[in-house]
Amino acid sequence: MASSQAALKSVTAPISKVRERIGRLPWWLQLAVVVGLAMLVPLYNDDYVTSIGVSVLTFAMLGLGLNIVVGYAGLLDLGYAAFFAIGAYTTAIMTVKLGFNFWTTLLPAIAFAGIAGAILGYPTLRLRSDYLAIVTLGFGEIVRILFTNWDYVDGPNGVWNIPSPSLFGFDLVDQNSYYLIGLILVLIAIIFARNLSYSRLGRGWVAVREDEFAAEAVGVPTLNLKLLAYSMGGMWAGLAGAFFASRVSAINPSSFTFLLSSQILILIIIGGLGSLPGVILGAIVVVGLPELLRGLQNARFLIFAALLILIMLFRPGGLWPQVRARRAPFVGLEDEEEKQTAERPFKLQPSVAEGEAILRVKGLAQRFGGVKAVDDVSFDVHRGEILSMIGPNGAGKTTVFNCITGVQRPKAGRIEFDGRPLGRLKPHSIVRRGMARTFQGIRLFKLMAVFENVMIGASVRERNLPWQALLHSRGERRDERRALMEARYWLRFVGLEEEAGRLATELSYADQRRVEIARALASEPMLVLLDEPAAGMNPTEKLELMRMVRRIRDRGVTVVLIDHDMSLVMNVSDRVVVLDRGQVIAMGTPAEVQNNPRVIEAYLGRDDADDEAELAEATGGA
Amino acid sequence: MSIFIQYTVNGLTAGAFYALVALGYTIIYGIIRLINFAHGDLTMVGAFIGWTVLVSMGLQRLPVFLAIALAALASMVVTSVINVGILQFAYKPLLNKSLLAILITALGMSIFLQNAALLVFGAGVQAYPHLVTSSGVFIGGVRISYAQTIFFTISLVLMAGLYSFARFTTLGTAMRALAVDHDAARLMGINVNRVIAIAFILAAILAAAAGVMIGLYYTQINFFLGFLLGLRAFTSAVLGGIGNIPGAMAGGLVIGLLESYCAGYLSGRWQDVFVFGVLITVLIIKPTGLFGERVAERM
Repeated sequence: MASSQAALKSVTAPISKVRERIGRLPWWLQLAVVVGLAMLVPLYNDDYVTSIGVSVLTFAMLGLGLNIVVGYAGLLDLGYAAFFAIGAYTTAIMTVKLGFNFWTTLLPAIAFAGIAGAILGYPTLRLRSDYLAIVTLGFGEIVRILFTNWDYVDGPNGVWNIPSPSLFGFDLVDQNSYYLIGLILVLIAIIFARNLSYSRLGRGWVAVREDEFAAEAVGVPTLNLKLLAYSMGGMWAGLAGAFFASRVSAINPSSFTFLLSSQILILIIIGGLGSLPGVILGAIVVVGLPELLRGLQNARFLIFAALLILIMLFRPGGLWPQVRARRAPFVGLEDEEEKQTAERPFKLQPSVAEGEAILRVKGLAQRFGGVKAVDDVSFDVHRGEILSMIGPNGAGKTTVFNCITGVQRPKAGRIEFDGRPLGRLKPHSIVRRGMARTFQGIRLFKLMAVFENVMIGASVRERNLPWQALLHSRGERRDERRALMEARYWLRFVGLEEEAGRLATELSYADQRRVEIARALASEPMLVLLDEPAAGMNPTEKLELMRMVRRIRDRGVTVVLIDHDMSLVMNVSDRVVVLDRGQVIAMGTPAEVQNNPRVIEAYLGRDDADDEAELAEATGGA
Repeated sequence: MSIFIQYTVNGLTAGAFYALVALGYTIIYGIIRLINFAHGDLTMVGAFIGWTVLVSMGLQRLPVFLAIALAALASMVVTSVINVGILQFAYKPLLNKSLLAILITALGMSIFLQNAALLVFGAGVQAYPHLVTSSGVFIGGVRISYAQTIFFTISLVLMAGLYSFARFTTLGTAMRALAVDHDAARLMGINVNRVIAIAFILAAILAAAAGVMIGLYYTQINFFLGFLLGLRAFTSAVLGGIGNIPGAMAGGLVIGLLESYCAGYLSGRWQDVFVFGVLITVLIIKPTGLFGERVAERM
């Protein structure tokens, strides 16, 4: 295996270099090249070749749609053929049974498939992706069986004599015209898919794919986005279905089996998850390979399967993986606009006055099984202060954070933020209200660029709609530019502008923590909760962090900080809350707390606990 | 009433087969978190190996129980070898890289096994010998054939065996530990690769047993039988709570019963819609399946 891998490397290395170089061209130029190459097919003027080309285009269209669901949003869908079927049947019924013109059936086909996507999506949104796999598979089968048993469309025989479309009086019947129509539809689909990929929506989807929990906690409305992914994915398939029905002129349920769903899934994964050139390549492989192997007759799918496995083994990331890193993400942004961002007050201003309680926690309690993680905790955070929460490991600090930010539901207690109770708001709504957080264990979106991670935060206050992202409308472009500008501002704020284009995982531990802080601040919070930001930092970095926390406060943001580093906490905090075994044992200025006998006991005095606490501090907590 | 009992008996028999195959999905999912799409097709291969031994090699002329035992044994050995081969070749290189990539190689393996069987055994139906008589006893209008009694009993014994293996042996404990956390298991001195291989062998043994019994019970097999069987077995595993061994057994029996009742009282045309409808409803109400999953969520 090793030697074959090396041999393969010598072949693939130049290929990936070419790919990289192509990737650096402007995207419209890449598209033009693809179109140019695609036009060679009808010029070759062989009906057999062109009809394979039409199949490739159909699969590419399907792949672009499924790519939204699986590639962007990371939702496994094994029943995608169902939406294709719904689109195809819509066109078949409307043209054959109701006498409509082909073109008028396109919108209904898209709409019905989109609605079907929402119907499938809504009840299944809370399922984890492996369960989603079987539910979508079941959905695909159910739809196919429904069509098989539906007498109006002649059950298993299906609908025949679907008319071909006509345009300006010409009947578009031959393969070449289908090829051209298909090419145009695929082009539109590619442009839309690309617009989506680099929009607030696309970043939200990728965030859901990378870490759904963290996405919700930093302000991404994950449930809505998943539903939208299903619905949009369905629309693409609906369009492809309409095209397919007209092209083959007779459809029946056996065209929409699990095999088709798995072929579409295969094509986007061998192409490279989330990658648009990958979809095209994948479609060519999945349609073309069996055609090339036609001479092998019965053995062709055997060989196809073997090749498929080999491709996956040698390129687990796909043939043309998507790389979201960018060389210079901020090129073209004016410095004057930069200044406006820096000086502009946050959109959201607290309604409570400076020094009053912006966050009130009353009687908070949380249990896990029989363990009281948090037991009747009450404290206030005053607007404009830096409050630290300290305590030995297991004291319940992170649990308090989780309850405040809505990530966990407390068993009892009341949390008021900026004068209003938080009730049972979802985490992303709490972020929208003006509270942001970082995580104890770093939870950046790994396969996204650093600046995109921060843009996720910056997009929390945007209001543009999905269709604007699809069309890349003027309003959406303005929002994008603003979000990019803010990403630059906050990355500069934490000292990481230079690293903006790299992938989040390429940064050092301390830098990743800074990106998390930038992501939280970009949502323009009134209150930010930092969970052990100094963990894993060296003394110099800790000093820098201390200054940064003060600067955050100076920008008008109230700060709540958890940390184990006593010198950091005591230096930077206005007040300190000490938790031990789920209860508040002391509260006050750093000096007061340091001299409190209960605090000294909690940290040093008890025989059974001191070793653990010290050990925890030495290892930076777990 | 007797009709209802008849449907129950038929449903339990089919359900026992689903349960055996479902166990294979659940064991493998529990350990490496892979929906092993090739598992249904492995069962199909198991059925064909049994057929080869009984028909092509002519062992059906031996005494019935000896013939079946040899066929099952041969089938178990061959499917175990195949399954470990699949693991080593197609899954292991990708284990720590990309779950989606393994999913695709599993789909590829499914297509591969189907087409291999198509090439070797042909596209048509192959007939199993009628070794286990379909005669049986009538109790109050309900016919319980010997085949049903024997196969149901064997299935229960196999399931009990697997359950005790997982519950009471060191290897079984290692397997359950692996299901929770690979790294911790490795640090505790568990030979992770070996345990995974054993899980694949166990899954193959159960699949082979199911395959041979399905052949003997329905007496007709073809290269495509693994698809529907696998689908139903996978559904059973999820219904019971994936990763959960008793859950897969119960799930299999429930799916078998549901199908039998639906085909009997409503119509065979709707049985898959009915089964999937129930599955989706259960998952919406209880997202971890009837018995709850036994896979630790990694936050």
